This record gives sequence, C-alpha cells and structure tokens, in this order.
Amino acid sequence: MSKLGQVVEAVEKYNGFVLNQVKRARSDEKFGRELSDRWTEIKSKTPVTHTPTGLPLPRLALPEIDEPGEIARYLFGEGLPGEFPFLNGAYREMYLEPVREIETGSYGKKTSSDGAKEKASGNGVQRLEEPTRLFSGLMLAEDTNERFHYLTQHQRTHRLSTAFDGPTLYGIDSDADGVFGKIGEGGVAIDTVEDMVRLYDGFDLGSPNFSASMTISGPAPIIMAMYIAAAKRRFGPKVVPKLRGTIQADIFKEVQAQNETIFPIEASLRFLTDMVEFTTHEMPRWYPISISGYHIGEAGSTPVQQAAYTLSNGFAYAEMFAARGIPIDQFGPRLSFFLDCGLDVEYIALARVSRRIWAIGMRDAFGAGPRGQLFKLHTQTSGRSLIAAEFKNNLTRTAAELMLAYMNATNSCHSNSADEPFTTPSEEWIRLAAHGQAILLEESGIFKHTMNMLSGSPGMKAVERAVERAVLDEFREIERLGGVLAAVEDRYQRSQIQNAAHRYEEQIYEGTRPIIGLNRYRNGSDDIPEVKLARTPRKKQQLQVDRLAKFKKKNAEKAKRALDKLVDVVERGENCFPTLIEAVEVCSLGQITGRLQEVVGRFRPMV
Amino acid sequence: MAAPIRILTAVPICDGHDSAINTINLEFIRHGIEVIYLGYHRSVGDIVRAAIQEDVRAIGISSYNGGHVEFFAEVLSQLRKRGANYIKVFGGGGGTITHDDAVAMKRKGVDTIFFAGTSLMEMTDYVRKHYGKPRKRTAAKLSDMELARKLTEIEEAYAKGKRRPAKQIRNPQSAIRNSNVIGFTGPGGAGKTTLIDELVLRFLSHDPKGRIAILSHDPSVIGEGALLGDRATMINSQDDRVFMRSMATRGQAGGLSPATHDCLALLAQSNFDYVIIETVGTGQEAMPFQQNGIVGETVLVMNPDYGSRLQLQKIVMLDLADIVVVNKSDLQRARTAHTEIEQRLGQNRRGQRLIDTVAKRHRDPGVDQLFALIAGNLSRRVGMTADLSC
Repeated sequence: MSKLGQVVEAVEKYNGFVLNQVKRARSDEKFGRELSDRWTEIKSKTPVTHTPTGLPLPRLALPEIDEPGEIARYLFGEGLPGEFPFLNGAYREMYLEPVREIETGSYGKKTSSDGAKEKASGNGVQRLEEPTRLFSGLMLAEDTNERFHYLTQHQRTHRLSTAFDGPTLYGIDSDADGVFGKIGEGGVAIDTVEDMVRLYDGFDLGSPNFSASMTISGPAPIIMAMYIAAAKRRFGPKVVPKLRGTIQADIFKEVQAQNETIFPIEASLRFLTDMVEFTTHEMPRWYPISISGYHIGEAGSTPVQQAAYTLSNGFAYAEMFAARGIPIDQFGPRLSFFLDCGLDVEYIALARVSRRIWAIGMRDAFGAGPRGQLFKLHTQTSGRSLIAAEFKNNLTRTAAELMLAYMNATNSCHSNSADEPFTTPSEEWIRLAAHGQAILLEESGIFKHTMNMLSGSPGMKAVERAVERAVLDEFREIERLGGVLAAVEDRYQRSQIQNAAHRYEEQIYEGTRPIIGLNRYRNGSDDIPEVKLARTPRKKQQLQVDRLAKFKKKNAEKAKRALDKLVDVVERGENCFPTLIEAVEVCSLGQITGRLQEVVGRFRPMV
Repeated sequence: MAAPIRILTAVPICDGHDSAINTINLEFIRHGIEVIYLGYHRSVGDIVRAAIQEDVRAIGISSYNGGHVEFFAEVLSQLRKRGANYIKVFGGGGGTITHDDAVAMKRKGVDTIFFAGTSLMEMTDYVRKHYGKPRKRTAAKLSDMELARKLTEIEEAYAKGKRRPAKQIRNPQSAIRNSNVIGFTGPGGAGKTTLIDELVLRFLSHDPKGRIAILSHDPSVIGEGALLGDRATMINSQDDRVFMRSMATRGQAGGLSPATHDCLALLAQSNFDYVIIETVGTGQEAMPFQQNGIVGETVLVMNPDYGSRLQLQKIVMLDLADIVVVNKSDLQRARTAHTEIEQRLGQNRRGQRLIDTVAKRHRDPGVDQLFALIAGNLSRRVGMTADLSC
C-alpha cells in the first residue's frame, strides 16, 4: 500500500475515533463532564468585542450545544480554529482586528513603518501580514518592479507575487526561435540573474516584512537558483537563510493540467527534491513548493477532483522528500497549498475539508508534528469563471468567490481583475480587485469581529461530508492505479480533468450551466470592451534580446565550464542545486535548460 | 466520395493551453475532418514543416498566451517563403485576441479568428465551407512538398474509389533498395510511437546527414474523420531531416489504409536512408506486412500485459516479426513476459530477436540495443531487392 492508501485508512480511522468519542461522551459520565467543563471554559474565556455600533459579540462563534456527545463531535471532528484537525482554520484570529485597535488599516492614510511593534501584539501573530497577495508580472523586469512598488505602496508588508512570461515558464531564452512576440507577455521576461536583480530592486529581500512568490514550475530550480544568486549579489551570502517566499515548483500538476513541463517527470522530480533538500537546510523560511490545485481547476476539473489531486500530489511529494532523508518535521511545515475558488457550491467547504484531510494524513500516516500538519493555503478566485461578454459582471463573480474563499479561512488570497479574459490586468481593474478584498475584510463586519462567523451551517456541513467522501473515493482510485506517480504516467488525472472540462463546456453550450450575459440574459452585443491593453512594445522585447546577447557574450567561456560542471554533478547523481546556484551567475536560463535536456531528456507531452 | 479535409491544429510555442483545441479537434473529427494535431508549445518551424509534409489545406492555431499577432504573422511568412501559401491559416484565442488584433492579423493573411462565444458548429461549418475543396497551387518548390502532394494524390485517388494512380510509382524494383524500410506493429498502448521517436533520435545523431521518412497510421472513427496525433508526442521527429506523414485508415481494417501500399512504395523510392511505417494498434490476428514485401525488417512491439500465456499462441505477428520488443519492461510483469515470449519464439527456430525496452526512459539501454540491431541488420540487407507487394 502506498502512503495514499494509508492516508485513506487514517481518515477513516479518525472518523471512527470521532464517533467513538461521541458515544463515550454520552456513556462515560466522567469523560462527558470533562468535555462539558472544557466547553464552558472555552466559552467563558472567549473575549468580547464591540462592533462599530456598540453591539457586543464574542470573538469566537461556537455552536449552541451543551450535550457532551455533540461537544465531542465538534471538538474532535472539527476542532476550534487553530486546533486539530483544523477544519475551521489553520490558525486562530486570522482576519480579526487585534483587540487593541489597529492604528492604520492596510489601505489607511499612512503606512506604519514599524513592523516590529505589531509583531509584539500578543496572540495575533497572523495579523502581521495582510492576506492580500496580488499576482503581477509584465514586460521586462524593471516594468514589473515598478508595478510591485505601485501595488505595495500602501501596504505594511511587501508580499510580491510574480508571474513569468511564456519563454521563462518553458525554460527557454528570449532569443529562442519564434518567441519574440511572447517576450514579456502574460508575465515578466527573465533570462538571467541580472534580470532577477532588476526584478526585485528596491525591496529588502532579507527583511521579515518581505516575501516573494514566484509562480513557475518546470524550470523552478533554475529560477530559484537565480533568486538566491541575485539576493547574494545585492546583500551578500548572509542573506540566504533570511529569504522568505514561495516558489511553485509543482511538477505533478504541470503534467496533469498545465503543460509547462520541460524535463521528463522523474528528472523533474529529482531536480525538485534537490532544491527542497537545499532550501530545507539552508533557507528555513522559504516555501520551496506550492502544491497547486489552481491550474487543475482552471484546466476544467471539478472542485472535488481539484482537492483530491492536489492533496494526493502533496502526499506524494511528502513521501518523496521523506525518502530522500529530509526529516518530515523540517520540510512538512514548508509545504504550502494553492487552490482555485469558483462559484460551484463545493467551494463552500472545499478548502475546509482539504485542511482536515491533510492534517489527519500528515499526523497519522506520516507522523508529522503539529507544524507539519497545517494546510497553509493561498487561494485565487477563478479565472475560468470570468468571461469577456459583459465583462463588468466579473466584479460580482469575483466578489462571490472571495466571500467563499474567506469562509474557508484561506491564509492569503488573490482576487482576479475583471479585465482578465482579454488582457494582462490593467491598473484600474487591479485596484478594484484589491479593494474588493479590503471591502470584505476591513470595511464590512463579516470577518473582522468574530472567528467562525459563517462556519458550520447545515448546508456547509452537508457539503463537507459529501466532498470528503468524494475525495477519499478519488484517493482509492489513485491507490488502485499504483499511487500518484503511476496514475500520472497513466494519464489518469489528466483524462479525468479533460473529461470534466468537456462536460463543463457542453453544459454552457446547452444552457444547463447558466452564465449570465453569455447564455442567459444576454443583451445581444458581444463586443470586447474598450480597455487599455498592456502589451509589451517591440522596443522592449528587442532590449531584452540585446541584454541577453550581451550577457552571453560576456560569459561565454565561463558558461561552458559552469555547464560542464553542472552536467558532471547531475550525471553523478549528487544534489545539483548548489552547482546550479553557481551556474546561473554566468549562464542564462535557456542555456541551462538546453544542456540539462541533453542529459536527462525532454518531456514527452501526453495527448 | 470526396476525400476528407485534412487540417493541422496546434498551440503556439510557450503556450500550454490545450483545453480548447482538444474540444475543437473532437468536434472537427465528428464532422468528417481529419485533424493532424501537433500539440502544444510548438514552434513556427515545427508547424510549417508539418503542414507542408502533411499537405493540409489549412492550419488552425489556438493561442491563449499572447504574442499572437507576431506568431501568426511568422507562420504566414514562413509558409510564403517556402512557396506554401496555398495552405491557409485560421485561429482563435478566446478573449485574448481582441477585435483590433484580429483586424491586424487578417491584414497579414489570416483567414479568420474565432472569438469567445463562437459555437463549435460555426467553426466546423467554416472549415468545411472554406477548405472543402482543394486549392489550385503553383509548382512545388521543395522536394518534400512535391512528395507530400504526390502522397495526397494517392490518398485522394483511393478515396474516390479509383485504382491506384500508377504514374506516381516509377515501377522500379531497383529504386526501392535506396531505403531501408522498417515496419512497426503491435497492440495499441504498447508504446510504438514513443519507441520510434526514440529510435529517430538515435538515427539522427548516428548519421548527421541521414534522412528518415515516417508513415504513421491512426484509425478513422467509423463514418467520421480521424485524430492523427502521433506528432504531438514524437518530439524528436519534428526535424528537417524527418519527413513524417500521418494517415487515417479510412475504413480499412488490419492496421493500415487502402492507400498505404502505394504511399509506402513512393516513400521507399524517395531517397530516404530509412523509411519507418507504423500501423495502428493491431489485434492478435493482424499481419499488416507481407513477407518479402516492401517492408524489410518487421518489429512487433508488445506490452507486458498481454493476458495469459495462451494468448501468445494466437498472436500471428510473433511468427512473422524479425524483432520482438517487450516495451515497458520496467513493469512488474515484464520478466514473466520476456520468459514466455522467448519460449514462444524458440518454437519458431527462426533466430528472431527479443529485446526489452523502456522507451519512455531517456537513453534507455534497451532502445540502444534495438537501434544497434536494426542499423546492423539493415546495412546487411542493402542490395537485396523486393517486389512491390506490401
């Protein structure tokens, strides 16, 4: 049995345990009394907050139960926010305003420059950072850099999320045949460590208030090496252990859904594990993989498929890293997740259920400690749910999705811009998207006064039970196919996703899935609205090519030696990541990819 | 009956958005169109080369990652440069291609751009209306183009139910020996396509000037078109030194098309160092290549999961193949398979070779061994003649 089979057993066993605790609470008087006492204590210790109108409210909402069996079902089956099995949240407090009034909101008049002061504010540790993390990347490094500064000008903490252009995502250089028009489109163009220096210029990479997220998987180890090399160039070698951020590096989902794989699966997984081994030891504040369902969802999966494949991919990575000898309690806390949030009803509880399954699986099948049990989640609203026709409706779609995402207690969130169906988002719509989050979290009282404000409705519970059952069924099927890697090579997940995507399109076409403004209440005009498009000018694309040529010329000799050394290490089967950090000093992304492909081969697409 | 429309579809380089094109491909073939699908992340060079070799009427490009104005323009420009602007270009990209972009693209020669909300029916109707008839073309500028057009003439002649267009084949038994013809067959899913692509990689690096032709087959859906998707996974075979042609079986059972024989004969006379023919996935009783036919060397590619030992007795090709390959030999059952097939071949006493491969693995030693064997056998065979029965 693979680890995934053990996870299924663990969840079943845990559910049995909860039922037993319920029965015991009802039959064993002493145990029942203990639970009732604990419940009373939790309630009595819950602080009271006051709304702006003066209404007192508890800071933690709990169900109205006093029967020991039901108390047991709640405490063991769901857990309080921040308590195993974390159904209601990986942490306490989350979106709550600190008890002491915060001086400035994240969109207030003045930024409070003093991060340290806020850090001291008691149990509200997670309060430090706004959950807003906006994805951005366009044109050349300096253009994205400017956008980063614009986005973070009013934020206390600088959490950047980087999108790369097509050539970078596929590990090829801007001077490659036929990619000229793609330079800087849909993300930033990065060819060399020099681009990486420009990209985060002006940000203090070693600061506890800074974190960088990089959305790239196929060539992730090379890009990660460039980030480290760039940080060292700017701040010296001592900055490395202080670096904070996330790199996506999720190979499974690329093969299953997103198609940005450049090496064969096994080689990709080996390079990934090399990187994870390095960052786990040398960069304890870095998240070296973001296990992503987003692209699975965007490729057309059902919400259940998204959760099931993301979680099973996560367990497969954990199994792989453990097999390399990396201690689970070191890498476990450095795994993070990324889910899509759309409008289907499953999203009411998708992340909640995922958090619970992950916690039980990591604790009981992998033996992870408390920190390794946490399903740390970044959510993005669904890009696929946005459409070009009558595109301003996208604001409402995104708002509804945001609401669902925060009902699931996501740790951070990106809200899509309404203009995304036709272009890289423009500043006007990005601003509206960001403000949507601020309105929900800061302006409205929905999330800021009370934890659990919307948890536990009968409908939500029903969705939780149905989703958990369906996810475990998917696990069993993957297990039957020989585990995640075998199923991936067998195209199982890929076929399932494609099938679901096809059904979704058919439903839209037949009208059984209403899309307002498209197949229902259509006003007849289909014109793509007048929006200012963010296209990369040819001049800039040429500049990128010229810069690259200069870099290659300057380093020609050294590059050859560096690549030979890299190949040597790869062939010997050693961890090649340290050598990669050296290589990026003198080699471009495409040079490294090309040379590695000679050694390990190219990814053969699955059709 | 008119021959089916053949078109090529692809997703541009640095773009992995294949969800739309997958749906559209299926719709096209449901309406009788033969689609050669090149896959995602494909360069302009790959697209233009494939379009010329496959002699398609049009190229459909599905682009979602930006840079479409330049990419489409480059495809058109390279088609023009090769004298192949009789091949038309159309495309789509949901909301990523604006109306202004589309105007600019059409000015550069793109036939049409489908916008978000276009129904599948509209697209199919467009293709049938605009590409339903062959276009007049100027004389072929390149030898690949000339060859591609002759293959089309053969295919179309058979589609119209005529006899073979004998003029295409310049008789000569003698000419055949210019090429070494290798036939690959075996059940579906055994990994024939991957194995051939890995051999191509070795052929190309072994002989820096050699040229290869591949005649690859996929089944037609009954009464409909066909999805010819081998190019999408044959990453090493998208090369100027490889001439590849994808054929649909067009209703013929047994793994090949009615036009295969003549097409293969033509390729065998066309000065390739190697000609590789791949059948569709075949059943136990199939014997697609006749002995002493054009095909010089036959390779049967097996999957270790063939069922019980008794099944082996029923596989006709086990008696006929020169080489039997057990691919996916990393699977648990592979050792049993090797032993059982070895015994089965032993009964034939023909000196048939048995090789285990893991074609999906880069630099697989089994594939190396197969390559060495094929290259060695074939160099011995040069000089033999064969009659023209396939």
